[in-house]
Amino acid sequence: MTKPASIQNAKIEIDGAQGEGGGQVLRSSLALSMATGRPFRMHKIRAGRERPGLMRQHLTCVQAAASICNAKVSGDAVGSQEITFEPGDVRPGQYHFPIGTAGSTTMVLQAILPSLLIAKAPSTITVEGGTHNGMAPPFEFFERALLPLLLRAGAVVRARLERHGFYPAGGGRIIVEVDPPRDIQTIEILDRGNRVSASARALLSRVPGSVGERELAVLQRRLGIEPHECSIRGVENSVGPGNALLLHLEYEHITEVFSSIGERAKTSEAVAEELATEARDYIAHKQPIGPHLADQLMVPLALLAGGTYATGPLTQHARTNIEVIQTFGGRVDVEGEHTVKVHPLSIQR
Amino acid sequence: MKLKRVIFGMVGTTLDTGRGPERWERWRPTVSLCQHEDFAVDRLELLYPRQGISLAKQIVADIATISPETEVRLHHVDPRDPWDFEDVYTALHDFASAYEFDEDEEEYLVHITTGTHVAQICLFLLTETRRFPAKLIQSSPKFRTNDPTGDYRIIDLDLSKYDSIAARFQKEFSDNVAGLKSGIETRNGAFNRLIEEVEHVAAHSVDPILLTGPTGAGKSRLARRIYELKKHRRQMEGPFVEVNCATLRGDGAMSTLFGHKKGAFTGAAADRAGLLRSAEGGILFLDEIGELGLDEQAMLLRAVEEKRFLPLGSDEEVTSSFQLIAGTNRDLRARVEAGEFRDDLLARINLWTFCLPALKDRREDIEPNLEFELEQVAKRTGRTVGFNTEAKDAYVRFAMSESATWDGNFRDLSASISRMATLTQTGRITEEVVRAEVARLGISWGRGPRAVSADLCAEVMGSERAAELDRFDRVQLADVLAVCARSKSVSDAGRELFAVSRARKSSVNDADRLRKYLARFGLTWEMISK
Repeated sequence: MTKPASIQNAKIEIDGAQGEGGGQVLRSSLALSMATGRPFRMHKIRAGRERPGLMRQHLTCVQAAASICNAKVSGDAVGSQEITFEPGDVRPGQYHFPIGTAGSTTMVLQAILPSLLIAKAPSTITVEGGTHNGMAPPFEFFERALLPLLLRAGAVVRARLERHGFYPAGGGRIIVEVDPPRDIQTIEILDRGNRVSASARALLSRVPGSVGERELAVLQRRLGIEPHECSIRGVENSVGPGNALLLHLEYEHITEVFSSIGERAKTSEAVAEELATEARDYIAHKQPIGPHLADQLMVPLALLAGGTYATGPLTQHARTNIEVIQTFGGRVDVEGEHTVKVHPLSIQR
Repeated sequence: MKLKRVIFGMVGTTLDTGRGPERWERWRPTVSLCQHEDFAVDRLELLYPRQGISLAKQIVADIATISPETEVRLHHVDPRDPWDFEDVYTALHDFASAYEFDEDEEEYLVHITTGTHVAQICLFLLTETRRFPAKLIQSSPKFRTNDPTGDYRIIDLDLSKYDSIAARFQKEFSDNVAGLKSGIETRNGAFNRLIEEVEHVAAHSVDPILLTGPTGAGKSRLARRIYELKKHRRQMEGPFVEVNCATLRGDGAMSTLFGHKKGAFTGAAADRAGLLRSAEGGILFLDEIGELGLDEQAMLLRAVEEKRFLPLGSDEEVTSSFQLIAGTNRDLRARVEAGEFRDDLLARINLWTFCLPALKDRREDIEPNLEFELEQVAKRTGRTVGFNTEAKDAYVRFAMSESATWDGNFRDLSASISRMATLTQTGRITEEVVRAEVARLGISWGRGPRAVSADLCAEVMGSERAAELDRFDRVQLADVLAVCARSKSVSDAGRELFAVSRARKSSVNDADRLRKYLARFGLTWEMISK
């Protein structure tokens, strides 16, 4: 059933300042607009921030999205607080997106990957920039936590990290291959089962080894991670120096990845404490899906066959995503305190 | 239609450097310009000197990584001397003139954070005069954070709120043009080299410096410039203390230099710090050091070597750390041989010796300095004065000729310009004024070094009383005084002054007539002949 053209083409109005009021609204809107073919206009982008409007990392998302679906865009400039985005057909294929300012590669993927997941032809996307940024999911989260769940839902995506990229030098590269979906199905993740393994790893690029040792010592003390579950990995090929601390927690039904990124003049202990605090919360609430996964899963599931999952308290990011999905005609129910039910979005294209 | 943003900038041969991965942790102005989340650069026009090519290529590669949307174009711009204003300005001016600006499609910014300060100032001026139809962008590290991207600020010079910045740059420009040459432009190669050496020594040494050269060659001014240079570079925080040793005599000399305790001698009613202590952390300039007494020399040597000395009447040594600059127009070696100057002190201060040439040995510098001197007059009096072309030619012709001996060096030149500026009423110095001045100078040099310096009237009557004279009288009196100065007796002077009427036999007592004339100004022959 096709909706009347007038409704189909009417631009969806999105308040860019809603919810967390940052790049998330934009990335989710871009993903949904590309997939559904519905144009949107967003105003008050990052209103009230110290530097309001689109930043370069957001602009990169808009431009990458536009190039994949041949969109007509206006207001796509740094500092712009209003854009319109009128998508054309999504064209799977080979894409290469270099990102400035060591911007997060996984964030750009958040905007462009969902529509390619459900495309009828394969794509290969090379993204260059930051692979391990603060305030953004690191590559390992994307590969080891998110992609396996998407595979269960029917999306076939392989990702590999060719080069690490840390702030501020960037220069990392990840390559993502997407096949047309197979066996699309509704997924249900309500229980994580028993812990199978834990592994903590400190990535060090031109940073003294003691940094990794101190970080891992904190994880051992705070989370009871065993020394044999810890490793230090020197990164040889990144452009600039950097440090990331990663923790993989593998359960029977789910793998979660937690991370914390080292910064200049931030002690190794402080870096590790951040991760430890987040991981403890996750371990304590006993739900399978952690806070980041909870919001990252939502849009892809809405475009596939939907799903139900149990998670901890919903973050602002997750709530914002729910609002945006509903603006595009989807539906997400929050049942009880812990269960999110994402309904499949009907897509007419 | 969104304009493309294009930035012009110089490779920062210091700030932009760095090869190892740790370079990413530092603020590098040119690279950091392209690292701002809220500021996209479409194109960077990067100017580099020849020896900066590998650095420039590194910057290109780094920008490709952190700002793939930025196109970087390299331009080889190579002033002969990157510290010379004229060279740098010309090179940048030529670049701007050849550049095809497209203001309908592109907006321009000129980055003034990198390059030598000479280049920065020239870029500023070229932007202010719209050779670059651009705004300025200034970048700076972000303090108290670990973020290497720093901050940036865009300055639109068309906005009046930036007038003060414009004024500051203009001033810096003129200051720098003048530079160490003590506000004196120079075409003299030897002098330029000398100044470069002085600059180098001033920047790297705290040892004593000895400036030699004839009176008026600019020793005092150079000492002061060295001080200003060091202060500007924050190598020095203390004051500039200057004294002419010829004015120090007897007990007073000791106490003036080294201070005294209360009661050290009659009249020592309170403690006095003395100049050496006042110069703590700064520069002590002792001009005419050859005139210093032997006792003071001994004390000074100890103060220079050990940074400690004994104030008069005190039994406790005090300390003071200062840089000594000594000036002299005498041959100190001859003074040593005559037993009038300590050879150990000479050895100590003779480490860096710079001889300032007499003006007659660098005549080519006279013309460029005319403007400078006129500006000085304008600053002092608030009145702008200039030469008309013929007058300037006439003056320069005389100034360059052998008959101009410039015995008092720059002091003469300065006084001469000052006189002409005073005597002109229209603000233009005419040939007539120049003729009178040339005569005056000839007369003063004819008599020898003593009458060299300033306006004769002022010298004889004091400048305050001289200032009260009408121009009419002043010119006449100056000429009369000049004749008197070189005459053996009042009769000789009278004969010369009244030669015409004497030839007509209309005057019999020239001497009496001259005395009466002088009396009108409260002067006597005895006063002026000594």
